Amino acid sequence: MVEPIFEYQFRLILIGDSTVGKSSLLKFFTDGKFAELSDPTVGVDFFARLIEMKDGTQIKLQLWDTAGQERFRSITKSYYRNSVGVLLVYDISNHASFEHIPLWMMEAQRHIEPHRPVFALVGCKLDLINAGGHREVTTEEAQKFAKQHGLHFVETSARSGANVEEAFRMVTQEVYARIRSGEYKAEDGWDGIKSGFSRPNSLDFNLVVAEPEKSSCC
Amino acid sequence: MSSTQEKPEELDRIQKRVNKILEARLESDKDTLDALSGLSTFFTENTLQNRRNLRSQIEHRSVGINENFLKAFRQVKLSLDAVCEDLDTMATSVETMKSDLETSKALTKDLIKQTNTMQRERDRLEVHKQIAQAFLARFQLSGAEHQLLYGAAKDAPIVADFFRVLDRVQSIHADCRLLMQCGYQTAAIDIMEEMTLHQEGALERLYRWTQNHCRSLENNEIGPLIVEAMSRLQDRPVLFKYVIDEYAIARRAVLVRQFIEALTEGGPGGNPKPIELHAHDPKRYIGDMFAWLHQSIPTEKENLSLLFKKCDKQDISDQLQNALGYIADGVCHPLKVRVETILQAEKDTIVLFTISNLLRFYQQIMRQVVQGGSLEECLVELQKSSEQIYLGALAAQVRSVLQRPSGGSGLALEPPQRDLVPPPSVARLLNMLKEILSVATMVDGRQADITKIVSCVIDPLLQSVQESAAHLPTVDMGVYLLNCLHHMQSSLAVYEYMDERVERLQAQSDAQLDTLTSEQASSLVANLNLGPIYAILQSNQSKIETNLLKIFMSKMDAFLELPDVLLLPQVQLIMSSSHRAAVQKRSFNVIVAIYKQIYERVHDPANGFEQPEQLLHRTPEQVAHILTST
Repeated sequence: MVEPIFEYQFRLILIGDSTVGKSSLLKFFTDGKFAELSDPTVGVDFFARLIEMKDGTQIKLQLWDTAGQERFRSITKSYYRNSVGVLLVYDISNHASFEHIPLWMMEAQRHIEPHRPVFALVGCKLDLINAGGHREVTTEEAQKFAKQHGLHFVETSARSGANVEEAFRMVTQEVYARIRSGEYKAEDGWDGIKSGFSRPNSLDFNLVVAEPEKSSCC
Repeated sequence: MSSTQEKPEELDRIQKRVNKILEARLESDKDTLDALSGLSTFFTENTLQNRRNLRSQIEHRSVGINENFLKAFRQVKLSLDAVCEDLDTMATSVETMKSDLETSKALTKDLIKQTNTMQRERDRLEVHKQIAQAFLARFQLSGAEHQLLYGAAKDAPIVADFFRVLDRVQSIHADCRLLMQCGYQTAAIDIMEEMTLHQEGALERLYRWTQNHCRSLENNEIGPLIVEAMSRLQDRPVLFKYVIDEYAIARRAVLVRQFIEALTEGGPGGNPKPIELHAHDPKRYIGDMFAWLHQSIPTEKENLSLLFKKCDKQDISDQLQNALGYIADGVCHPLKVRVETILQAEKDTIVLFTISNLLRFYQQIMRQVVQGGSLEECLVELQKSSEQIYLGALAAQVRSVLQRPSGGSGLALEPPQRDLVPPPSVARLLNMLKEILSVATMVDGRQADITKIVSCVIDPLLQSVQESAAHLPTVDMGVYLLNCLHHMQSSLAVYEYMDERVERLQAQSDAQLDTLTSEQASSLVANLNLGPIYAILQSNQSKIETNLLKIFMSKMDAFLELPDVLLLPQVQLIMSSSHRAAVQKRSFNVIVAIYKQIYERVHDPANGFEQPEQLLHRTPEQVAHILTST
């Protein structure tokens, strides 16, 4: 089957404490596999995947995985710039990782402003809890925090794949909705959102009358 | 016709005749009736005269009739003669015609035969026509197809059907092999040649269209048609390469422009802010520049992958990397200029080291995206440059600390003080080194960096320490060096990759410990009056004067009560308690060893000492226990 060409490209970034499962989440989302052994991320890592919206529109996600370790903080900070979506990742079995979420969120907001990114609170390692592990962050507690701060919220497992697709879809759908409503514009130079390659008129490309296409929507 | 008197025979005969007439059924004899009817027209009266003239009248009438008949028949005869004459003429004509026909028949026999032949030929040709039409449909392009392939007008755009027709051309070309095998070599070769020309023309047009499209990829419209076009151009490696080059040239310009905009203008309307807004913060500034590149270049790589999505005939990764390298080359100059400006202006060694780490990190991470090309070289070069600069700055800083305040030309520490502790410069340099080593770092190659940095500081420091210690007395020098070495060791031991350096420092420390142990032991020997006795022991004489032993034991008893009183005052100045303990322990062990020899000598009956228990009332074990328990 021919891979479809996408309409828009969004840039998302994953942040959160080290070892909460950011890389595993991304790996499952892009490969459909769970990595049993996962080395700590060195700095930043890049992933890409297509995802389809409810109305059939193809969106390409450019996904940046970041190291949670303090020593990489000065590097990862530079990657917040131009991100349109932020996934705040914590470990359900590690309450400290949840307690650090406000700090991560503030850091992201500070580096991305004045743009207002779409945030999602993502709990990882749901499979451990389902297997009898000790849950340290209740769903209610996380839900309350998410509601207070206007975040999307979902609990996931990169091992079983539970809700992984949903975690990325909710952010993408929200960004897409904001484009449709005009809140976001795919402006030239704003890398968080880029126009894609299958705009209707691109199939009727005519060299005689061609001029650089204006990046605009809605 | 009546008679008055008739004979009976005559009456009978008349009666017979009447009967005969009556029996003759005249009404049914048409001829008779007709005769009678005719007779009635001229035999009006039945008289004798009339009866006598009847015969001649009848004969006369008959002659008249015959004459009429003859007259009429003459007409008929004449007509018939004419007809007969005509018939003769016709017969003649017919004969002529017949002979003509025979002649014609002879002449046209071939014609008819030819006609039949041609009829069969026509039928055959009709079949041939159908075959030819089918053949043409199979092995030739239709007008519409031809137009799709070459375009209706100059610069007509490529449409999806173009590729269908191109497939058809290639299919026909391939089918010609079948024609070859069927024996139609000439036709096959001609068609193949024609299809080759079509294909060349089409690919040439496709190349021009694709090249022009790539040249104007301002917004990266790599649509399905471009992807398909690249797939087809694989068959023409030179054209394929030209298109890639054109694409790379265009994207390179776009990337550079975007980079400059990100640096100087930021995003639309100044959001995000320009990267150069943070130029005063070198780490932030350089980090942001590299992060921008690290996020942009994978996008270019993905675009290239998309461009090559359908290119499956050969390994395309080399061409992709070459193109990507070329695209990324464009940012080298603006990047290099800015980083070098920072490196030249910055004086803080720690900041410089941090920048160098950052450069090494991005050198490695960028290599995962784009191998080869100027960008990789640029990063290597910048990393080396930054390393030279920070090592240079570090060396200069070390020199300035080691320089005497008086501004002498040689390296020199402050002179050692009486307390023999390391001078302030040593502490200052070690603190500086610790600050550098504490910089969080995240790259491979760290070990080499650390080794260089440590060498840059410790080597000149060691040299200075040794030079400043050189004029001290032996024991003072030993303690001073030991203290300095200890300070270095303890400063470095907590960091990674210090094993070799610490080991070397330890070796130097061990040398000093040996020296101090030797000096301390000598001092103890002298103070315990062991010199003469030890000389005797060495000379293998059997006799030791009792007087010497008494003096020795007197001092020994005092020593065992308060061992520290005989320690050299400098040994107390050793900063490390473990070092002090080591010197003390090892020198005491020397005394114990000597005592043991004396004890064994005195208690040997062969040597003739009277009452050895009184002379040496402590066993060597007791002495060892007392000394080691202090």
